[in-house]
Amino acid sequence: MNGDTMSSTMQNDASNLTADAVGETAHPLALQVRNLDFFYGKSRALHNISLDFPERSVTGMIGPSGCGKSTLLRVLNRMYDLYPGQKATGEVLFDGQNILAAGVDLNVLRSRIGMVFQKPTPFPMSIYDNIAFGIRLHERVSRSEMDGRVEDALRRVALWPEVKDRLQASATAMSGGQQQRLCIARTIATRPEVILLDEPTSALDPVSTARIEELLDELKTEFTIAIVTHNMQQAARCADQVAFFYLGELVEVDSTARMFTTPRESRTQDYITGRFG
Amino acid sequence: MDVSAKPPAQMDGQKHRRSGGFAGDPLFKMLVMATGIGVLLVLGAIIAVMSIGGFPAFKAFGPGFLVSAVWNPVSQHFGAAAPVFGTLASSALGLLIAVPLAFGTAFWLTALAPPVPAAIIGMAVQLLAAVPSIIFGMWGFFVLVPPMAHYVQPFARHMFGHIPGLSALVSGAPFGTGMLTAGLILAIMVMPSITAVMRDVFTSMPTVLRESAYGLGATRWEVMRQVVLPWSRQGVVGGIVLGMGRAMGETMAVTFVIGDSNHIGWSLFAPANTIASLIALEFPESPAGSLKLASLMALGAILMAISFVTLWCSRILLARGEAQAGKRS
Repeated sequence: MNGDTMSSTMQNDASNLTADAVGETAHPLALQVRNLDFFYGKSRALHNISLDFPERSVTGMIGPSGCGKSTLLRVLNRMYDLYPGQKATGEVLFDGQNILAAGVDLNVLRSRIGMVFQKPTPFPMSIYDNIAFGIRLHERVSRSEMDGRVEDALRRVALWPEVKDRLQASATAMSGGQQQRLCIARTIATRPEVILLDEPTSALDPVSTARIEELLDELKTEFTIAIVTHNMQQAARCADQVAFFYLGELVEVDSTARMFTTPRESRTQDYITGRFG
Repeated sequence: MDVSAKPPAQMDGQKHRRSGGFAGDPLFKMLVMATGIGVLLVLGAIIAVMSIGGFPAFKAFGPGFLVSAVWNPVSQHFGAAAPVFGTLASSALGLLIAVPLAFGTAFWLTALAPPVPAAIIGMAVQLLAAVPSIIFGMWGFFVLVPPMAHYVQPFARHMFGHIPGLSALVSGAPFGTGMLTAGLILAIMVMPSITAVMRDVFTSMPTVLRESAYGLGATRWEVMRQVVLPWSRQGVVGGIVLGMGRAMGETMAVTFVIGDSNHIGWSLFAPANTIASLIALEFPESPAGSLKLASLMALGAILMAISFVTLWCSRILLARGEAQAGKRS
C-alpha cells in the first residue's frame, strides 16, 4: 500500500484512528520509539517519548522552539553520539534492533537513516562528488554505475535538468533551494530506508519550499520520512501523521486530518491555532 | 526616565563627550594610520640595513657568496652555502617530523578526545608553545644529544650503514649534535603552533557540514580526510608555513644542538650550521667594518629573502590549489 492510499484511508475513516492503529493496520512500522528519555548533561530534554513511524509515510513533528522535536530527530540516527555528555535512554526499534544499544554500527545505521538539515550543507566539492561522496563511503561501484547513481539521485529531486551540464561545478555556487535539493539527493543516493528532515525549508524561499514539499510527496512512496517543521501549513500539507511536542513531552500524535481539525488536547489546539509558540 | 534624578550637568557632560568624539575621530584615524605606516617603515628599515650592511660581502665575493661553502675568517673568505643549506635542511627535517605529529594531535583534540583530556592536552600544547627557545636549547643539549650519540646514530649505522645510498645519511662520528638533532628540536618547537592553527581551522568548520558527513555514515577519519581537510586546506598550509618560518628563523635552540660546522653533507648526524646559529655564534667576534660582519649581515638578508620567498610560494600554492578546486568542484 502506498502513501497516497494511506492518507485517503485516514481521511475517510476517521472513526477509530489513533496513530498506533494507523501504523498497525495500514503500514508496518519503520521505527518505534519506546520510553525515550534524553539528557543534555544533567538537563532532561525528552520525557518518556513513545512514538511510531509507519513505513513509507510522512511523520510531521511540530511544537514550539526547544520542545525537543529536533532532539528526537537527532536520536533517531544517533547524531547526538558525536557529543560527549548527551545521553538517551529507552528504546528505538529499527528493523527489530534497538539502535540505542551499545555495539550498533553507527556508520551503517546512518547510511540507513539519512538526515537533511535546516540549512543546505553542500560539501565544498563538485555537484557530482557531493552525491558520489555518500555512495563511495559504503559501496565500491564502477565509474559508469556511479554516473548512473548520481544521475538517478539528481533526477529524483528534479535537479538533473538544471545541473546536468555542470556536474563538475562547485556545489556551493548553486542557489539555496538547489543546494537543499542536492542535499536530499545526496541522502537518497545512499539508499536509506528512513529520511530525517530537520526544518528543511526554513531557510528557503516559498517557491523552493513548494518544490521540496512536492518532492516529499514522491519520496514517501519509497522512504519513511520524519520531518521537523515550524510551519503548521507545511505539516498539514506534507504529513500523514503529526506529533505535537511541548516542553520535551509528546503531547499528542494523530493523523494529520484529525490533528488539525479535532485535536484531543487543549495545548495542541492552542498551538496550532497560534495562541502560543 | 531613570536618569531624571541626576543633575542636568550630566546631560551636558554627554553632549561634550559627543562633540569631543567629533574632533577625536580624525585624530584617531590618523593615529591608527600612523601605526599602519609604521609597520611599513620598520620593514623597510630592516631590509635596508641588512642589504646595506651586507653589501660589502656581496661586492667582495659576487654571486660566489651564495654558492661557496667556505667560511674561513683567517683567509677572510666567506660563503653562504653551508648555513643556507643547514637552515633549509634542518627546517625541512623539523617540519617532516612536526607536521604529522601536529596533524595527529589536532585531529585527536577536535574529533576524538573526551572533553577533559582534550582540555588538558590542549593547554599543554599551548604551554609548550610558550617555552622560551633557550630552554629548548639547554634541554635538547642535555636530553636529546646524549641518546642521539649513544643509541640513535649507532643503531642507524647498524641498520643502514651497509646499504648503498643510505649509508651516507648515517655516516660520521657520533657527536650527538647535528642536523637530525636540530630537526628534532625544531619539530618540538614548531609543533605546538602548527597544532594550534590546525585545531582552530578544524573547529571553525561549520558543525552542520560536519554533521552532514557523519549523517551519511562517514567515519571520523572519512569526515576528516574528505570534508574537513579540503575545507580547511588553506588554514592547514598556512599553519605549516607559519611553522616553517619559525623553524628557519629559530636561533638559540638550534645553536645548542646543531654542532657548529660549516659543512654541507648528506649525513643526518653530521654537525652543521644554520644562518641564525652562525650569526649568533660569530657576531660577537666580528669587529665593526669587517668583511666578516658584512658577510653576517648578508646572511641575514638572505634569511629574510628565504622567508619572504617561502611565504610567497605558499600563497601561490594556496591560490593554485583553490583555482584547481574551483575547476574540479
